Amino acid sequence: MRLTFLGVVVSALLCAQAPTSPAGLGGNQRGLPELKGPTPRLADGKPDFSGVWIGGGPVGDLALGMPKGEAIPLLPAAAELMKKRQSKDDPEANCLPTGIPRTAPYPWTFANGSFGNGSGNLYMLFEGNIHSYRQIFMDGRAHPKDLNPTWYGHSVGHWDGETLVIDTIGFNDLFWFDFRGHPHTEQLHTTERYTRLNFGTLENKTTIDDPGAYSKPFTITFNARLMPKGELMEYICQENNQDVNHIKGPAGTP
Amino acid sequence: MKPRLVLAAVLVAAALPVLAHHSFAAEYDEKKPVTLKGVVTKVEWMNPHARFYVDVKDEKGTVVNWNFELASPNVLTRNGWTRKSLQVGDEITVSGSRAKDNANLANARQITLADGRRVFAGSAEGEGK
Repeated sequence: MRLTFLGVVVSALLCAQAPTSPAGLGGNQRGLPELKGPTPRLADGKPDFSGVWIGGGPVGDLALGMPKGEAIPLLPAAAELMKKRQSKDDPEANCLPTGIPRTAPYPWTFANGSFGNGSGNLYMLFEGNIHSYRQIFMDGRAHPKDLNPTWYGHSVGHWDGETLVIDTIGFNDLFWFDFRGHPHTEQLHTTERYTRLNFGTLENKTTIDDPGAYSKPFTITFNARLMPKGELMEYICQENNQDVNHIKGPAGTP
Repeated sequence: MKPRLVLAAVLVAAALPVLAHHSFAAEYDEKKPVTLKGVVTKVEWMNPHARFYVDVKDEKGTVVNWNFELASPNVLTRNGWTRKSLQVGDEITVSGSRAKDNANLANARQITLADGRRVFAGSAEGEGK
Protein backbone atom coordinates (compact mmCIF):
# COMPACT_ATOMS: atom_id res chain seq x y z
CA MET A 1 0.00 0.00 0.00
CA ARG A 2 2.77 2.32 0.96
CA LEU A 3 4.65 1.48 -2.21
CA THR A 4 1.59 2.09 -4.33
CA PHE A 5 1.17 5.49 -2.78
CA LEU A 6 4.79 6.32 -3.36
CA GLY A 7 4.42 5.25 -6.97
CA VAL A 8 1.62 7.72 -7.48
CA VAL A 9 3.64 10.54 -6.04
CA VAL A 10 6.79 9.63 -7.92
CA SER A 11 5.05 9.26 -11.25
CA ALA A 12 3.20 12.53 -10.73
CA LEU A 13 6.45 14.22 -9.84
CA LEU A 14 8.33 12.87 -12.83
CA CYS A 15 5.64 14.03 -15.14
CA ALA A 16 5.31 17.41 -13.54
CA GLN A 17 8.78 17.93 -14.98
CA ALA A 18 8.01 16.29 -18.31
CA PRO A 19 5.76 18.55 -20.37
CA THR A 20 5.53 15.91 -23.09
CA SER A 21 2.81 14.20 -21.09
CA PRO A 22 -0.50 15.88 -21.95
CA ALA A 23 -2.11 14.59 -18.79
CA GLY A 24 0.67 15.80 -16.55
CA LEU A 25 1.09 12.25 -15.32
CA GLY A 26 3.32 9.38 -16.22
CA GLY A 27 2.21 5.82 -16.34
CA ASN A 28 2.59 2.20 -15.53
CA GLN A 29 4.75 2.41 -12.47
CA ARG A 30 4.19 0.13 -9.54
CA GLY A 31 1.27 -1.61 -11.22
CA LEU A 32 -0.67 1.50 -12.13
CA PRO A 33 -2.50 1.62 -15.47
CA GLU A 34 -0.62 2.93 -18.49
CA LEU A 35 -2.01 6.43 -18.72
CA LYS A 36 -1.01 6.85 -22.35
CA GLY A 37 -2.65 3.52 -23.16
CA PRO A 38 -5.74 3.16 -25.32
CA THR A 39 -9.12 4.61 -24.40
CA PRO A 40 -11.09 1.92 -22.57
CA ARG A 41 -14.40 0.90 -24.12
CA LEU A 42 -17.76 -0.38 -23.00
CA ALA A 43 -19.21 -3.64 -24.30
CA ASP A 44 -21.01 -1.70 -27.07
CA GLY A 45 -17.76 -0.13 -28.26
CA LYS A 46 -18.45 3.36 -26.90
CA PRO A 47 -15.66 5.05 -24.96
CA ASP A 48 -15.80 4.43 -21.23
CA PHE A 49 -15.63 7.67 -19.24
CA SER A 50 -15.44 5.90 -15.89
CA GLY A 51 -12.84 6.94 -13.43
CA VAL A 52 -12.05 9.79 -11.12
CA TRP A 53 -10.82 12.89 -12.92
CA ILE A 54 -9.14 16.06 -11.87
CA GLY A 55 -9.09 19.28 -13.88
CA GLY A 56 -10.66 19.76 -17.29
CA GLY A 57 -11.48 23.45 -17.00
CA PRO A 58 -9.99 26.78 -16.03
CA VAL A 59 -8.84 27.35 -12.45
CA GLY A 60 -6.69 30.48 -12.37
CA ASP A 61 -7.05 31.90 -15.87
CA LEU A 62 -9.53 31.14 -18.65
CA ALA A 63 -7.04 32.46 -21.22
CA LEU A 64 -4.78 29.43 -20.65
CA GLY A 65 -7.35 27.38 -22.57
CA MET A 66 -7.34 29.63 -25.66
CA PRO A 67 -5.56 28.66 -28.87
CA LYS A 68 -2.06 30.17 -29.00
CA GLY A 69 -2.07 33.80 -30.01
CA GLU A 70 -5.82 34.28 -29.59
CA ALA A 71 -7.28 36.69 -27.07
CA ILE A 72 -10.56 36.34 -25.22
CA PRO A 73 -13.07 38.59 -27.05
CA LEU A 74 -14.21 40.54 -23.97
CA LEU A 75 -16.75 43.30 -24.56
CA PRO A 76 -15.81 46.65 -22.97
CA ALA A 77 -18.47 46.41 -20.24
CA ALA A 78 -17.30 42.93 -19.28
CA ALA A 79 -13.69 44.13 -19.19
CA GLU A 80 -14.73 46.97 -16.88
CA LEU A 81 -16.60 44.61 -14.58
CA MET A 82 -13.55 42.35 -14.44
CA LYS A 83 -11.35 45.28 -13.41
CA LYS A 84 -13.66 46.11 -10.51
CA ARG A 85 -13.79 42.59 -9.12
CA GLN A 86 -12.09 41.87 -5.81
CA SER A 87 -10.58 38.49 -4.98
CA LYS A 88 -12.50 38.27 -1.71
CA ASP A 89 -15.76 38.26 -3.70
CA ASP A 90 -14.82 35.26 -5.82
CA PRO A 91 -17.73 32.86 -5.26
CA GLU A 92 -15.34 29.94 -5.15
CA ALA A 93 -13.35 31.48 -2.30
CA ASN A 94 -16.72 31.84 -0.55
CA CYS A 95 -17.50 28.13 -0.94
CA LEU A 96 -20.05 28.66 -3.71
CA PRO A 97 -20.20 26.56 -6.90
CA THR A 98 -17.82 26.92 -9.82
CA GLY A 99 -20.53 26.97 -12.48
CA ILE A 100 -19.33 26.05 -16.00
CA PRO A 101 -16.63 25.75 -17.38
CA ARG A 102 -14.57 26.49 -14.27
CA THR A 103 -13.12 23.55 -12.39
CA ALA A 104 -11.78 23.33 -8.91
CA PRO A 105 -8.66 21.38 -8.05
CA TYR A 106 -10.73 18.57 -6.61
CA PRO A 107 -11.63 15.22 -8.12
CA TRP A 108 -14.90 14.54 -9.91
CA THR A 109 -16.54 11.68 -11.75
CA PHE A 110 -19.33 10.92 -14.18
CA ALA A 111 -22.17 8.81 -12.79
CA ASN A 112 -24.78 7.04 -14.86
CA GLY A 113 -28.32 7.40 -13.60
CA SER A 114 -29.55 4.13 -15.06
CA PHE A 115 -29.19 0.53 -13.98
CA GLY A 116 -27.89 -1.29 -17.01
CA ASN A 117 -30.07 -0.19 -19.90
CA GLY A 118 -27.79 2.68 -20.84
CA SER A 119 -30.57 5.14 -21.52
CA GLY A 120 -30.30 7.08 -18.32
CA ASN A 121 -29.21 10.55 -17.54
CA LEU A 122 -25.67 11.43 -16.59
CA TYR A 123 -24.48 13.14 -13.48
CA MET A 124 -21.21 14.80 -12.71
CA LEU A 125 -20.29 14.45 -9.05
CA PHE A 126 -17.86 16.95 -7.62
CA GLU A 127 -15.80 16.48 -4.47
CA GLY A 128 -15.28 20.21 -4.35
CA ASN A 129 -15.70 23.20 -4.67
CA ILE A 130 -18.44 22.73 -3.69
CA HIS A 131 -19.53 19.18 -2.83
CA SER A 132 -22.21 19.15 -5.52
CA TYR A 133 -23.42 17.64 -8.77
CA ARG A 134 -24.61 18.41 -12.28
CA GLN A 135 -27.47 16.63 -14.02
CA ILE A 136 -27.28 16.01 -17.79
CA PHE A 137 -30.41 14.78 -19.54
CA MET A 138 -29.52 12.20 -22.22
CA ASP A 139 -33.06 11.29 -23.29
CA GLY A 140 -33.31 13.66 -26.24
CA ARG A 141 -35.38 16.33 -24.54
CA ALA A 142 -34.99 20.00 -25.41
CA HIS A 143 -34.21 22.80 -22.95
CA PRO A 144 -37.38 24.13 -21.30
CA LYS A 145 -38.48 27.68 -22.02
CA ASP A 146 -38.08 30.45 -19.44
CA LEU A 147 -35.62 28.69 -17.17
CA ASN A 148 -34.96 30.15 -13.77
CA PRO A 149 -31.27 31.01 -13.73
CA THR A 150 -29.06 28.62 -11.73
CA TRP A 151 -25.36 27.98 -11.03
CA TYR A 152 -25.11 24.92 -13.29
CA GLY A 153 -27.96 25.74 -15.66
CA HIS A 154 -29.97 23.15 -17.59
CA SER A 155 -27.92 20.54 -19.44
CA VAL A 156 -28.84 18.15 -22.24
CA GLY A 157 -26.33 15.74 -23.71
CA HIS A 158 -25.76 13.37 -26.60
CA TRP A 159 -22.95 11.33 -28.11
CA ASP A 160 -21.23 12.54 -31.27
CA GLY A 161 -19.11 9.50 -32.16
CA GLU A 162 -16.34 9.36 -29.58
CA THR A 163 -17.37 12.60 -27.96
CA LEU A 164 -19.91 13.41 -25.25
CA VAL A 165 -21.54 16.74 -26.07
CA ILE A 166 -23.25 18.70 -23.28
CA ASP A 167 -25.29 21.78 -24.12
CA THR A 168 -26.22 24.09 -21.25
CA ILE A 169 -28.26 27.27 -20.86
CA GLY A 170 -30.20 28.82 -17.99
CA PHE A 171 -27.23 30.11 -16.01
CA ASN A 172 -27.22 32.79 -13.36
CA ASP A 173 -24.51 35.46 -13.66
CA LEU A 174 -23.07 34.91 -10.19
CA PHE A 175 -20.11 32.62 -10.78
CA TRP A 176 -16.72 33.61 -12.17
CA PHE A 177 -14.83 31.67 -14.84
CA ASP A 178 -11.51 31.84 -12.94
CA PHE A 179 -9.51 33.57 -10.20
CA ARG A 180 -9.11 36.52 -12.58
CA GLY A 181 -12.84 37.12 -12.54
CA HIS A 182 -13.77 36.60 -16.19
CA PRO A 183 -17.49 37.39 -16.16
CA HIS A 184 -20.57 36.28 -18.03
CA THR A 185 -24.27 37.12 -18.20
CA GLU A 186 -27.47 35.11 -18.03
CA GLN A 187 -27.23 34.83 -21.83
CA LEU A 188 -24.36 32.35 -21.40
CA HIS A 189 -24.65 29.20 -23.50
CA THR A 190 -21.96 26.56 -23.16
CA THR A 191 -21.25 23.55 -25.36
CA GLU A 192 -18.83 21.11 -23.79
CA ARG A 193 -17.25 18.36 -25.88
CA TYR A 194 -15.58 15.62 -23.82
CA THR A 195 -13.30 13.11 -25.55
CA ARG A 196 -11.22 10.49 -23.77
CA LEU A 197 -8.01 10.88 -25.77
CA ASN A 198 -6.29 7.97 -24.07
CA PHE A 199 -6.54 6.03 -20.83
CA GLY A 200 -5.43 8.90 -18.64
CA THR A 201 -6.66 11.99 -20.47
CA LEU A 202 -10.14 13.42 -20.91
CA GLU A 203 -10.20 16.45 -23.18
CA ASN A 204 -12.83 19.13 -22.67
CA LYS A 205 -13.38 21.65 -25.44
CA THR A 206 -15.93 24.18 -24.26
CA THR A 207 -17.46 26.78 -26.52
CA ILE A 208 -18.57 29.86 -24.63
CA ASP A 209 -21.27 31.88 -26.34
CA ASP A 210 -22.39 34.92 -24.36
CA PRO A 211 -23.27 38.00 -26.42
CA GLY A 212 -23.73 39.89 -23.15
CA ALA A 213 -20.04 39.66 -22.24
CA TYR A 214 -18.09 38.50 -25.31
CA SER A 215 -18.13 39.82 -28.88
CA LYS A 216 -18.15 36.34 -30.43
CA PRO A 217 -18.23 32.70 -29.34
CA PHE A 218 -14.84 31.20 -28.48
CA THR A 219 -13.59 27.75 -27.54
CA ILE A 220 -11.25 26.83 -24.71
CA THR A 221 -9.52 23.48 -24.25
CA PHE A 222 -8.51 21.93 -20.95
CA ASN A 223 -7.55 18.35 -20.22
CA ALA A 224 -8.72 16.44 -17.18
CA ARG A 225 -6.33 13.78 -15.96
CA LEU A 226 -7.23 10.45 -14.48
CA MET A 227 -6.53 9.87 -10.81
CA PRO A 228 -5.57 6.19 -10.89
CA LYS A 229 -7.47 4.28 -8.23
CA GLY A 230 -8.99 7.60 -7.21
CA GLU A 231 -12.00 7.85 -4.93
CA LEU A 232 -14.15 10.82 -4.03
CA MET A 233 -14.01 12.01 -0.45
CA GLU A 234 -16.24 14.27 1.61
CA TYR A 235 -15.39 17.95 1.31
CA ILE A 236 -17.61 20.48 3.03
CA CYS A 237 -16.02 23.81 2.14
CA GLN A 238 -18.30 25.82 4.38
CA GLU A 239 -17.29 24.27 7.70
CA ASN A 240 -14.31 26.47 8.53
CA ASN A 241 -13.72 28.96 5.73
CA GLN A 242 -11.48 31.64 7.22
CA ASP A 243 -9.87 32.72 3.95
CA VAL A 244 -12.18 35.48 2.78
CA ASN A 245 -11.44 37.58 5.86
CA HIS A 246 -7.81 37.80 4.77
CA ILE A 247 -8.07 37.94 0.99
CA LYS A 248 -7.04 41.33 -0.34
CA GLY A 249 -6.87 43.17 -3.61
CA PRO A 250 -8.31 42.96 -7.09
CA ALA A 251 -9.01 39.66 -8.79
CA GLY A 252 -6.08 38.82 -10.95
CA THR A 253 -3.09 36.87 -9.86
CA PRO A 254 -3.78 33.16 -9.63
CA MET B 1 4.80 7.41 16.68
CA LYS B 2 3.47 4.99 14.13
CA PRO B 3 1.14 7.36 12.29
CA ARG B 4 4.08 9.62 11.65
CA LEU B 5 5.98 7.09 9.61
CA VAL B 6 3.98 8.03 6.56
CA LEU B 7 5.47 11.49 6.62
CA ALA B 8 8.69 10.22 5.11
CA ALA B 9 6.84 9.47 1.90
CA VAL B 10 5.32 12.93 1.84
CA LEU B 11 8.72 14.50 1.29
CA VAL B 12 8.67 13.33 -2.31
CA ALA B 13 5.67 15.52 -3.02
CA ALA B 14 7.44 18.70 -2.05
CA ALA B 15 7.85 19.94 -5.61
CA LEU B 16 4.22 19.51 -6.54
CA PRO B 17 2.02 22.58 -6.44
CA VAL B 18 -1.27 22.03 -4.71
CA LEU B 19 -4.22 24.09 -5.78
CA ALA B 20 -6.77 25.66 -3.51
CA HIS B 21 -10.27 27.05 -3.75
CA HIS B 22 -8.93 30.58 -3.64
CA SER B 23 -6.15 32.53 -5.27
CA PHE B 24 -2.94 32.00 -3.29
CA ALA B 25 -1.61 35.43 -4.17
CA ALA B 26 -4.80 37.14 -3.02
CA GLU B 27 -4.28 35.98 0.54
CA TYR B 28 -0.54 35.34 0.98
CA ASP B 29 2.57 37.21 -0.01
CA GLU B 30 5.47 35.10 -1.23
CA LYS B 31 7.72 38.07 -0.53
CA LYS B 32 6.90 37.81 3.16
CA PRO B 33 8.51 34.50 4.08
CA VAL B 34 8.30 33.52 7.73
CA THR B 35 10.15 30.82 9.62
CA LEU B 36 8.92 30.32 13.17
CA LYS B 37 9.65 27.88 15.95
CA GLY B 38 7.10 26.96 18.53
CA VAL B 39 4.69 24.50 20.04
CA VAL B 40 1.53 23.28 18.33
CA THR B 41 -1.51 24.36 20.37
CA LYS B 42 -4.35 23.20 18.13
CA VAL B 43 -4.94 21.24 14.93
CA GLU B 44 -8.12 21.85 12.93
CA TRP B 45 -8.69 18.97 10.54
CA MET B 46 -11.42 20.86 8.68
CA ASN B 47 -12.35 22.20 5.25
CA PRO B 48 -11.60 24.05 3.12
CA HIS B 49 -8.12 24.02 4.67
CA ALA B 50 -6.64 22.11 7.55
CA ARG B 51 -5.00 24.48 10.02
CA PHE B 52 -2.69 24.30 12.94
CA TYR B 53 -1.89 26.90 15.54
CA VAL B 54 1.53 27.47 17.08
CA ASP B 55 2.61 29.40 20.17
CA VAL B 56 5.68 31.37 19.16
CA LYS B 57 7.79 33.54 21.50
CA ASP B 58 8.73 36.87 19.97
CA GLU B 59 12.01 38.68 20.67
CA LYS B 60 10.56 40.20 23.86
CA GLY B 61 9.50 36.82 25.15
CA THR B 62 5.83 37.43 24.54
CA VAL B 63 3.95 34.38 23.31
CA VAL B 64 2.01 34.94 20.12
CA ASN B 65 -0.34 32.36 18.63
CA TRP B 66 0.06 31.88 14.87
CA ASN B 67 -2.46 30.34 12.48
CA PHE B 68 -0.99 28.19 9.68
CA GLU B 69 -3.01 27.10 6.69
CA LEU B 70 -2.45 23.73 5.04
CA ALA B 71 -4.08 22.10 2.03
CA SER B 72 -7.52 20.53 2.40
CA PRO B 73 -7.73 17.46 4.63
CA ASN B 74 -8.44 15.39 1.51
CA VAL B 75 -5.27 16.53 -0.25
CA LEU B 76 -3.29 15.88 2.91
CA THR B 77 -4.86 12.44 3.28
CA ARG B 78 -4.03 11.58 -0.32
CA ASN B 79 -0.45 12.64 0.40
CA GLY B 80 -0.19 10.34 3.38
CA TRP B 81 -1.08 12.64 6.25
CA THR B 82 -3.47 11.76 9.01
CA ARG B 83 -5.05 14.13 11.50
CA LYS B 84 -2.46 12.84 13.96
CA SER B 85 0.55 13.72 11.78
CA LEU B 86 0.87 16.94 13.73
CA GLN B 87 -0.20 16.86 17.35
CA VAL B 88 -0.79 19.36 20.10
CA GLY B 89 2.47 19.75 22.03
CA ASP B 90 4.73 19.02 19.06
CA GLU B 91 7.74 21.30 18.90
CA ILE B 92 8.16 22.37 15.31
CA THR B 93 9.83 24.82 13.01
CA VAL B 94 7.52 25.95 10.26
CA SER B 95 8.22 28.07 7.20
CA GLY B 96 5.74 29.62 4.85
CA SER B 97 4.32 32.80 3.38
CA ARG B 98 2.65 35.38 5.61
CA ALA B 99 -0.82 36.77 4.98
CA LYS B 100 -0.92 40.00 2.98
CA ASP B 101 -2.84 41.72 5.78
CA ASN B 102 0.00 41.00 8.24
CA ALA B 103 -2.21 38.96 10.54
CA ASN B 104 -0.43 36.24 12.48
CA LEU B 105 -1.44 33.93 9.69
CA ALA B 106 0.67 32.12 7.12
CA ASN B 107 0.45 29.45 4.50
CA ALA B 108 2.69 26.64 5.74
CA ARG B 109 5.17 25.36 3.20
CA GLN B 110 7.40 23.14 5.26
CA ILE B 111 7.35 21.81 8.78
CA THR B 112 10.31 20.33 10.62
CA LEU B 113 9.59 18.19 13.64
CA ALA B 114 11.79 18.32 16.71
CA ASP B 115 13.66 15.18 15.63
CA GLY B 116 14.67 16.85 12.37
CA ARG B 117 12.26 15.21 9.98
CA ARG B 118 10.95 17.68 7.43
CA VAL B 119 7.40 17.62 6.24
CA PHE B 120 5.80 19.08 3.15
CA ALA B 121 2.81 21.07 4.25
CA GLY B 122 0.72 21.10 1.08
CA SER B 123 0.46 24.80 0.59
CA ALA B 124 -2.20 26.47 -1.46
CA GLU B 125 -0.34 27.60 -4.52
CA GLY B 126 -0.03 27.01 -8.20
CA GLU B 127 -1.80 27.02 -11.48
CA GLY B 128 -3.32 24.08 -13.27
CA LYS B 129 -4.50 23.36 -16.71
